[in-house]
Amino acid sequence: MGKLILKAENISKHYRLGRVGSTTLKQDIYDFFRKNSFFKGSNKQQVPEAVDYPNDIWALKDINLDVCEGDVLGFVGKNGSGKSTLLKILSRICIPTTGTIKGRGRIASLLEVGTGFHAELTGRENIYLNGQILGLNTRQINERFDKIVDFSGIEKFLDTPVKRYSSGMYVRLAFSVAAHMEADIMMIDEVLAVGDSEFQMKCLAKMKEIAKTEGKTVLFVSHNMQTIRNLCNKALYLDKGRISDLGNPDKVIFNYLKKEQVEYLFQEYDDIQDAPGNNIIRIKRAEIVPDYGNGPKKIRTDTALTIQFEFWYTGLPEIDMAVSILVFSFAGECVFDTRSAFTKIRQGIAMGECTIPANFLNDGSYYISMAFVRSDNTLLYEFDICLSFEIEDAAKLDNWYGKWMGYVRPNFTVDLNQKQIL
Amino acid sequence: MQNLYDENLRWWKWEIKSKPSIFSLGLREIYYNRGLILRLVRRDLLASYYQTLIGPFWIFLQPLLTTLVYIIIFDKFAKIRTGSDIPPLLFYLPGSIIWAFFSDCLSGTMFTFIANAHIFSKVYFPRLVVPLSNTITQAIRLSIQCLLFLVIYLYYYLRYHNVDPAPILLLLPYLVILTAGFALGTGLIASVFVAKYRDLETFIQFLLRLFMFATPVVYSSSIVPEEYRAIFWLNPLTPIIETFRSAFLTNGPETFYYLKIASVEVFVIFIIGLFLFKRREVKVMDII
Repeated sequence: MGKLILKAENISKHYRLGRVGSTTLKQDIYDFFRKNSFFKGSNKQQVPEAVDYPNDIWALKDINLDVCEGDVLGFVGKNGSGKSTLLKILSRICIPTTGTIKGRGRIASLLEVGTGFHAELTGRENIYLNGQILGLNTRQINERFDKIVDFSGIEKFLDTPVKRYSSGMYVRLAFSVAAHMEADIMMIDEVLAVGDSEFQMKCLAKMKEIAKTEGKTVLFVSHNMQTIRNLCNKALYLDKGRISDLGNPDKVIFNYLKKEQVEYLFQEYDDIQDAPGNNIIRIKRAEIVPDYGNGPKKIRTDTALTIQFEFWYTGLPEIDMAVSILVFSFAGECVFDTRSAFTKIRQGIAMGECTIPANFLNDGSYYISMAFVRSDNTLLYEFDICLSFEIEDAAKLDNWYGKWMGYVRPNFTVDLNQKQIL
Repeated sequence: MQNLYDENLRWWKWEIKSKPSIFSLGLREIYYNRGLILRLVRRDLLASYYQTLIGPFWIFLQPLLTTLVYIIIFDKFAKIRTGSDIPPLLFYLPGSIIWAFFSDCLSGTMFTFIANAHIFSKVYFPRLVVPLSNTITQAIRLSIQCLLFLVIYLYYYLRYHNVDPAPILLLLPYLVILTAGFALGTGLIASVFVAKYRDLETFIQFLLRLFMFATPVVYSSSIVPEEYRAIFWLNPLTPIIETFRSAFLTNGPETFYYLKIASVEVFVIFIIGLFLFKRREVKVMDII
């Protein structure tokens, strides 16, 4: 374990919600006179009393964090849990309401690609501009210039204004600059991986390379549990602005998936009152039943998954309805959407199931949403992100150790024959 | 134990606190980012003339056209006395150059946070880099315009012999610095408030337009009635523009005393602006 390189003590971040208007001006003037001890002659501590106003929220509360040299720390948490706010505070973009951050070395914050790109300028000018905004000097950019251009693959368009670039070329160039920053502490947001899927893989590989470089400290926000598991030696789970768990990535990810409303493979409700739903549909049970066969108890690409569900129907006496099952990747993309036939359901409990065959989904993390639809296509209820599961690679086939591409991995036959011998 | 403590102190290179220190201006950080300042200057200069027909010549054309309009309206139509017998072109040009410099610096600085919110919300660098680079950009334009003025001046000097340079000419660089300081100071103060209350933007633009008439851009200070002169000369731009004018003429008004007052005013405004900006630069990001 290396020496401490970044130390955050007691970080909290407070936001005042609502619109800025004449009330805020009044508030400002009030605060000015109240806070400035100069006018009162007392030396009161200046901590905003947040509880006073209903519109106040704490985006982060009492965060203590030690990062050592060489740590690759992954941040997990739902949207709005404060991941980005924490990253922004650590990279000095926002100021914490309380607490101090001490550190050494230069920080590169790669929260977005193409920060400060100017549409009128050429690709070449923009490499320098972007690089310098991210904290390099001209000499350092000169050293990397060829590598950046190589990686982006746009050398032909270097002297064209970037506004004439296709969006793909634009993000390629932008990512390339970001990827060639070298700093003591790197703050990376996964949204950095951009472009078409081929380039995304290249981006992720580059990020891995950065993270794996000896002695580099990386703070990494990702929604992909697999990536965090692969890259990080530490993970941090934020829940409503507080550190919920910190430590070994496997443990943290497990706690994250278990603790969030996302209840992993199984959720069941005995009492109709507590069950999620509305006055037409209430969920009784939703479960993923993996068919492990004789193998180990792990969901792998060759495991068939059966999604079972039960719900109370409490609407009109009889209805013609269907249930849709949607599988999403953790990046938020829908992998598929499949629907039952329209069926007559009477008041009471209904059930159904759907099997995802083995060798269909690729390895990765997925979650499931269900939609209950009436025959006229009215949405009755959407049970969002009700289950989540993670698929591991079945076997390292052949000599291929990289990640398979795509969300599905069907076993289609690919014929290969010798046609002619020269 | 003592040793460990000492080592800790030396180990940390920087520290972010919830309340920035009042007296830290981060000048070293700005020096460290000097490359970025120049890069932004280059960006602004390049970008403003890409895909234009006459490119950099706009730098000349803008003050020339403005001056032409002033001559037609104020000299030929309204017949406002310039207070001296200098050619109208030489009279209006310095005023409009200095005014444009002041007004561009001020508006550029004022929109520091609003115009760069997308960058500021993703990357940290000392925010002062942006207004400084804007001021340098404007100063480069100003110096090019001054060359134009010089050419015209030489033409009149050689052809008519009716204008004479005065030794106060040596103050010219100081006048530019003074104007820049005034614009930057007010701009920095404005930027902090404009970021929070957008209607101030309209208000300040409006004030700026009125302020032009309180400054001897299109008239000479000699036409101001005696009872208003004391207030009139308190405007730092008044002695600046009048000095600029009289630097090239023999019979201009004596401005040295007012220039000293202006220097003090500008210094105070600049310091207030600098500290206010420094104090709010990161906090502003929460409300933009």
